Formats: sequence, C-alpha cells, structure tokens
Amino acid sequence: MPKMKLEMEVNNRKVVKETDTHKRLIDFLREDLNLTGTKEGCGAGECGTCSVFVDGKLVKSCLMPAAKANGAKIETIEGLAKPGELTPVQKAFHKTGASQCGYCIPGMVMAATACLRENPKAGIEEIKERLGGNICRCTGYTKIFEAVEIARSVVAGEAPAGVLDEDEPLGESYIGHNVRRLDAPSKVTGRLKYAADMKLPDMLQMQVLRSPHAHARIVSIDTSEAEAMDGVACVITADDVPGKDGFGVFVHDQPIMARGKVRHVGEAVAAVAAEDLVTARRALSKIKVEYEVLPGLFDAEEALKPGAPVIHDYAPGNVVKHIPVRKGDVEKGFAEADLILEDDFSTQQVEHAYLEPEAGVAYVDADDVVTVISPSQNITHHRHMLADIIAKPINKVRFIMSPVGGGFGGKEDMIYQGMLALAAMKTHRPVQLNFTREESLIASAKRHPSRVHYRMGLKRDGRITAVEFSMLSDGGAYGMSSEGVMRKAAILSCGPYEIENLKVDTRAVYTNNTPSGAFRTFGGMQAQFATESMMDMAAEALDLDPFEIRRINMMKIGSLTHTQQALKTASLDRVLDAAEKASRWEKGAPKVRGATRQDLDGPDTRKSCTLGARIAAEVSGAEKGQRSGASEKTKDSERVA
Amino acid sequence: MTRTKRGRGMAASWYGIARTATIDRAGAWAELDDGGTAKIVTGVTEIGEGILTVLAQVAADELGIRPEDVTIGDNDTARSPEAAHAGATRQTYMIGNSVALASREARNVLFEQIADHWEVEADQLRAFNGEIWALETNLRISMSDAVAICKGRGVVPLGSASFTAHGTGLDPVDGRGAPWQAYVFGTQVAEVEVDTYTGEVQVLGIWAAHDVGRAINPRGVEGQIEGGVVQGLGQALMEEYITVDGHTTTHGFAKYILPTSLDVPQINCVIVEDPDPESPLQAKGIGEPALVPTAPAIMNAIYDAIGVRIKSLPATPEKILKALREHSSDRQMIANANREERARLHERSAT
Ligand code: FES
Ligand code: FES
Repeated sequence: MPKMKLEMEVNNRKVVKETDTHKRLIDFLREDLNLTGTKEGCGAGECGTCSVFVDGKLVKSCLMPAAKANGAKIETIEGLAKPGELTPVQKAFHKTGASQCGYCIPGMVMAATACLRENPKAGIEEIKERLGGNICRCTGYTKIFEAVEIARSVVAGEAPAGVLDEDEPLGESYIGHNVRRLDAPSKVTGRLKYAADMKLPDMLQMQVLRSPHAHARIVSIDTSEAEAMDGVACVITADDVPGKDGFGVFVHDQPIMARGKVRHVGEAVAAVAAEDLVTARRALSKIKVEYEVLPGLFDAEEALKPGAPVIHDYAPGNVVKHIPVRKGDVEKGFAEADLILEDDFSTQQVEHAYLEPEAGVAYVDADDVVTVISPSQNITHHRHMLADIIAKPINKVRFIMSPVGGGFGGKEDMIYQGMLALAAMKTHRPVQLNFTREESLIASAKRHPSRVHYRMGLKRDGRITAVEFSMLSDGGAYGMSSEGVMRKAAILSCGPYEIENLKVDTRAVYTNNTPSGAFRTFGGMQAQFATESMMDMAAEALDLDPFEIRRINMMKIGSLTHTQQALKTASLDRVLDAAEKASRWEKGAPKVRGATRQDLDGPDTRKSCTLGARIAAEVSGAEKGQRSGASEKTKDSERVA
Repeated sequence: MTRTKRGRGMAASWYGIARTATIDRAGAWAELDDGGTAKIVTGVTEIGEGILTVLAQVAADELGIRPEDVTIGDNDTARSPEAAHAGATRQTYMIGNSVALASREARNVLFEQIADHWEVEADQLRAFNGEIWALETNLRISMSDAVAICKGRGVVPLGSASFTAHGTGLDPVDGRGAPWQAYVFGTQVAEVEVDTYTGEVQVLGIWAAHDVGRAINPRGVEGQIEGGVVQGLGQALMEEYITVDGHTTTHGFAKYILPTSLDVPQINCVIVEDPDPESPLQAKGIGEPALVPTAPAIMNAIYDAIGVRIKSLPATPEKILKALREHSSDRQMIANANREERARLHERSAT
C-alpha cells in the first residue's frame, strides 16, 4: 500500500508518522495514534461523533483526508483536559447527567467546546444551533443543553466555577438521590473503550460479503481466489459451521451466514478475515457467488395470500406468529354500544440508529474457550445459541459484553458474533469486525411496521363496551423477536382500560424486507398509537374531555387486564392527574379547539423556530457541514408546496 | 387564516416490567471489601440508561457505604452470575433487586460479626455512608474498620442472591395469563405548532407523567423520559426506513432523518411513585414506557390544531399538506357525520 509521511501537532505533542495514503484523519487518529475517543458514527459527515479541532476549527474528521491535516494543529477529546482533570464543559456534562451510552458524547463535548470558544456568552438558541450537526439518540438533548448552559455561565464568569462540583445534599438514603453517573468521566473524556476501539495483538480484520438480492437461491460460492490472496487468513461461509446452524430470539430460523438461499438484501453470505481492512475488502470482490433470483415478497398482506412466495419452508403460510387474546363476548359488547367507531392505523419501519454501529472481537483462549466481546444486549442467550452452532459445551463459549453505544433492542440479535467466532476458530487469531453505518442499516433489525384495524364500541357515557383489534406486522426475512413483539402488542393492545369484551389478534409475517425485531416498547407503541387515537376520536364524538374518557375506562386496582390478570396496583389515576395539572390542561372535548385554547404558549414550552430562522440555521449549518432534521423537512415541504 | 396553528393533545399508556409472559430471573454476588468498599458482580452492562450508577446506589444503600466505593464487575458469561438481557425495562427491577438482596446478605454477615464483637444485638446495628453504629449506644466506627474487624475474626462478608419475577405464559386460545407482576402507567401531553404553508410540525412542549415505582436516581429517570420522548417524536414526525423491493433507499443519516437539537421540545417530566409491593426495592422501570404515549399525543395535538387526523405515521409535511388540502371537504363530512351520530344517540335515548 502506498505510504506517506505525516507531521502534525496532536494534543500539544509533535507527531511524525508514516501511514497509508488512503487514510482519513479519523483513521489516522484512531488507528495510528490510538486516540479512540474520536468515534465513527456514520463516516459521512452526518452525525458529529468524529468532531475534532483542526487549527482551532471544529471539523468532522471522517470527511478530512489525513494528508490534508498534514502540518496542522489537532486537538481531540483526549487533549481537552489533562489526564485526571475535566474542563468546565466536561464537568457540566457529568453534573447534569448529559451522557447516557456515551457514544455521541466526545463529539458533543467538542461541539459544545467550540460553541463556547467562539461565543462564551452563547444563549440557548445559539447553543442548539451549534449542536445541530451532532446526533444523540439517547438523551433527547435536554440534559446536554442544560450542561452547556451551566458551562457557559461558568466560562462567561456569570457563575462561580464551584457550581460545577456542587451536588444536592445527601439525605438519609442513596435511593432517590441524584448520584452523578459513575461512568460519565470516562465518557466525557473519550477514555471508555467500545468494541470498535479495542485492539488485540495479531488481530485480523473481518469484512462481510452481503446479498445484493432480496430473495435468491445460492447456486454456488467460489472462495478460492479470495483465499489465495496475500494477507487473507480465512474465508468463511455457511459450510464452516460445525454444529446446528440457526439463531433467533424466539425461533432459531437464521443461519450465521446464508445457507442455500438469501432472504433479504444485506444478508451475510461469506466473510473474510485478513491482516488489514483494505485487504479484507479487496478479497470480498474476489468471492464469486452465483444466484438464482426468486420472486420476492415485500408486503405483509401479500404474504398471507395463497400462492405467495414461501420465505421459510417450515412456515408455508409465511406466518411467524399469531397471538390471540379473547375476553367476554364482543358481539354482545357491540350490540350494547351506542356508538361504534371503526378505523385503520399504520406505523412505519423505524431504525434504532444507535450511534455505535455493530462491532466485535473474537478469539480462542488458552483453554480453548471461544470468546466473543461485543455490545450484545443478551450475552446469556447468545452463549447458549453459539454453543449449539459451533458444537461446543457451553463452558467453552464465553461472551463478554462491551460498553454498548446505544441498543434500544437492536443489539439483541446475534447477527455477526457467529461469524467472528468461526473466523477465530479457523485462524486461532483474534478477529475484529466493525460495521459501517450503511451495513448496520441494512443488516440489523428494525421496528415492526404495522397495520391495525380497529373497532370500538362505546356507551353514550363514554364507557367502552367492546373492542376488536387486529394487527398485521411485517417481520421481514427472519423471526428475530417477532413472536415476543406480537405477544406484547396483543397484551397491551387496547391500552390501560378495563374492557369487558374484546377480541385481539396480532400477527407477524415473513417477507423479503429488512428484518424487524426488538425495538424499545416491543410492539407496545404501535398498538397504543392506534388505541390512543381511537380514544380521542371517541371523545370527540361523545363530547367528552380526553382525560375524562380515559378516567371513565381506566384500569384500577382489582381491574382485569385484557389477559384477565387482576391488577394489584394501578397508578393511571395519578399519572392522568399529574399530566393534567402539570400541563395546565384546559378542559374540553377534542374538537379542533386549538384556536381558542387559553393554555397554550406557557413558560414550559420552547419558542417556535420561525421558518426564516430555520433556513438561516440550515445555511450556516451547511457551511459548517451541519445538518438538521428540521431544516431537511423544511426543504421537502417546500418542494411539495 | 393564520399561517401557523397551535394545538394540544394527550395520550395515556401502560407497560409491563421485565420479560413478558414468562418467569424472569437475575443473580448477583456481593462482597464487602477492604477499606469499606464493595465488589458487586452480576451479568449487567450499561447500555446507556445509567444502570451501573443505579446498582452502585442500591448496593451502597444496603451495605452502608458510598456509591463511589462500589466496584461493579464486567458482564462476562464466564465470570459473573447470570442476569440475562439488557432490555424489556428489566434491569433496575431484576438486577437491582438481586443486587439489593445479595448486598443485604453480605451486610448481615458483617452485622453478625460486629454485633458479637460489640456485644449488642445485630438488629441494633445501622450502617450508612461509610459508617456503622449501634442504636442506643455510643458505638460508631467506619465501615473500613468494621470490615477489618470482621475479617480479623476470620469471616469474609459475602452475599449472593437470585431475584425472580413470576410472569406466566398466555393461554394459546384466549390469551389468558399474568404476563407481568409489575405494571407502570404514563400520560403525556403535547403542544404543537403546525405551519399550514409547509406542513411542518414543531413540538413545543411535552408534559410527561410516568409511574416508575420508586425513582432510584430521579435525574436518570428524567434522562430516560427525555430520550424516550425524542425517539417518539422522531417516529411521529420524520423517521422512516424505506425499502423498495427489499432495497433500502434510506441508507445513511442523510436520508434517514433523525431528530436533532433543533427539533427538541421543552420536556417537563413528572415522576409518579407507586411502589411495587412485590419486590424489596419497590422500583419498577421507565426505559421503554417513556416513548409509548408520545406519538399519539402529538397526533392528537395536530388534530386539535388543524382538524386533520394522521393515522399513518410519520406525519411528514407532505402528509400534513395533503390532508390539509382535503381538509375543508373533510371537515364538512365530519361535521355531518357528527350531526348524524348525535341524532342517532338522541333516537336511542328516546327509545
Ligand atoms: S462519523 Fe463523522 S460525522 Fe459521523
Ligand atoms: S448518549 Fe448520545 S448517543 Fe448515546
């Protein structure tokens, strides 16, 4: 590989290094200098996790060729404070609890630092704008704003530095006390090592060949040319699996790598472990796969039709799981109703978008234990499954959970740990695989897109007499968590209301779409979106306040849930009261009364962004390589208008 | 007609704590260590929610030491007891309670030795924040000294525990079952502003009231609510993973739009504490439930503002504009339908 010599001042130290010419600044910092506090969340200038200072200017190091930084003065997260110390911004992040998974945090701290360096008196609107190029998936940004405002007050001399160290006095217990997050110092300084930051001696890099087809039979795979390449340690396919192949949170329908056929675009077909990333990538292009394309299935309703393509032989009707819940007599309930509402609702497929793409390291230790380090959300289950897959006793399989840079359910599926284990077993060397963002998007599970058909019967006084609820969800190519998601959706379906007569059905089906799996609320959100919309529609029709109609139907202590469990506790009365009071809710039926409400625009709302301000923010954001969801939307809507 | 219109909506929600429709379990080991510190080993890793800090608080409270004196071992199937997965809003409930019980056992071992040493009853002893004392006496020493005395008597103060949540499976025909032993409830109110020219919706305020059982770290609970609300907002208004014949067209963050700092409403959290009677800590959870009511509250608020009900998420500007275009005739239809409905109700009440 062609080399170049780079000379820079990095965190006040002179660095002279020979490196590969293709490297970006982020690669040079992370790989050559081990400055892994700078994270790669997207590699495309869209998330801000890789932010560093170059000659005092905040830049996204994934967009800058290393050669371009030659001769520059670089400051990374590691260089902001001396070891063991924290800057005011870092202290403020610690104080307010602004770091959760921590993956976005080095970039956030850099952006906040840049903001206060440029304007030590920055107000909240300016702070928000200057953080607009940094995505955080965990915190909802609120504690980050609070941190930057506190840091600002200290930096601007409006508050004594002592406020950064102050905590509320300790009472009689640590329960209920706002103890500062113990992991925050390592996150705000970039010291915490996530799986992609780990390096082991003699470690190989893995790359994965993925399916370009949604549904195809694999006629043949020829790996010989790739295997013969210099620097390639091994190539693995489904043929390398020594045990019973198959994983999944409920049904074990997914092979480590495609076996006989591919079922979605992006499915792993083969993997290469090589001395370095570039060699591994080159080797992928030498693997020859012959496919016979099969008719694809891309719609959940189509999946249920007779004659639809069959995705898994074990499930000829394409149904992953059907969960029925029955209570009382729905026909009777509807017959008693004064009002019957019927409607359809749908929700989209949603990406977890944790800032840390999937990553992992595997090795075989001196006791022949196959060890996988990864941000898996369920190492216990992964160990069980991998033991069967590689035909080893369970104590010869070890999973270590690395710090998780956001999961939200998306890291419960064992979609890459098996490949790492196989390569480590085949080479007896440590192997690392770091997904790109694009790879993470196409290969990891999503939130189930769902369609709900709803029928609700009510008495004139607002009491629900019957509900018929039917949900169809696209589970995609593999079962993953679909069964559990359907179960939870069914249990929670009709919301926190005691309903005497109900008929609930939830179904997930196989298609050739990107698989759906576990995602924060596990089906609960999709179901209750429909229910809560219906409740307001019913309230409008019956001229009831939305809180009122919910109180009329709410579950109480002793209520029988939809699955006929008697509740020992129930707090809906109190949360309804609390939300009504906190929001200063003006009573009234939900009949489009926004124009006349008196409870709007209180001190507990933010100012609305005017369109002009947003476009201005976008323009200045674009100059800085920043982007915001808000301004993106504005563009779209203008196109339509 | 003014260009921007505001409105408010609300939604309620419920959720179950820990694994669904099955028994759930988690184990932990605890050791009171030299210097009045402690080791806690359990199968848990931070996924960002703050569980390590919560467990350190729980252990510190049970052991009578400070959270920063607690060391939590790594999650490693070969080195730590099983505590299963990081999900299902189960970590505080399952692992928190198992750590509480294991710590309690280690403390009781220490208390027995110190009571014997001081010649008092073990139930006279209290420990908090690095000190141990005997009620109704002047006896008071540091936890560091207490551990040294205990070890000097030949005893290492250790504890272990397993915590169980008794969910039951669902009947395959009618779904009857008790899927969870702890439930939480929540309610959110949303205030929105809709730009009727561009279709853009801004969420200006969220009021989020959630029952968490007992808030171990209130700031951490707020962090979970704020994060959940913004994920809910993303799903409500902008996020959509799109595939065409199985190929995604949203293959990066340039196409897959996420909420940024400019999209965030002011989030007003109200923590409601309805203690769980089934577990020693009495805490429940908040991770997942926080985002359940956000999207419907926003849709109900959009309706309040412009009289358009979005039943298909996300409520993109395109959808809002399209709905607004059909709005006037729609409104007419709704009004007529409502009138008919009322007439029907009236008829029924008359008969
Ligand atoms: S990694 Fe550079 S902006 Fe995302
Ligand atoms: S803390 Fe920001 S992405 Fe997790």
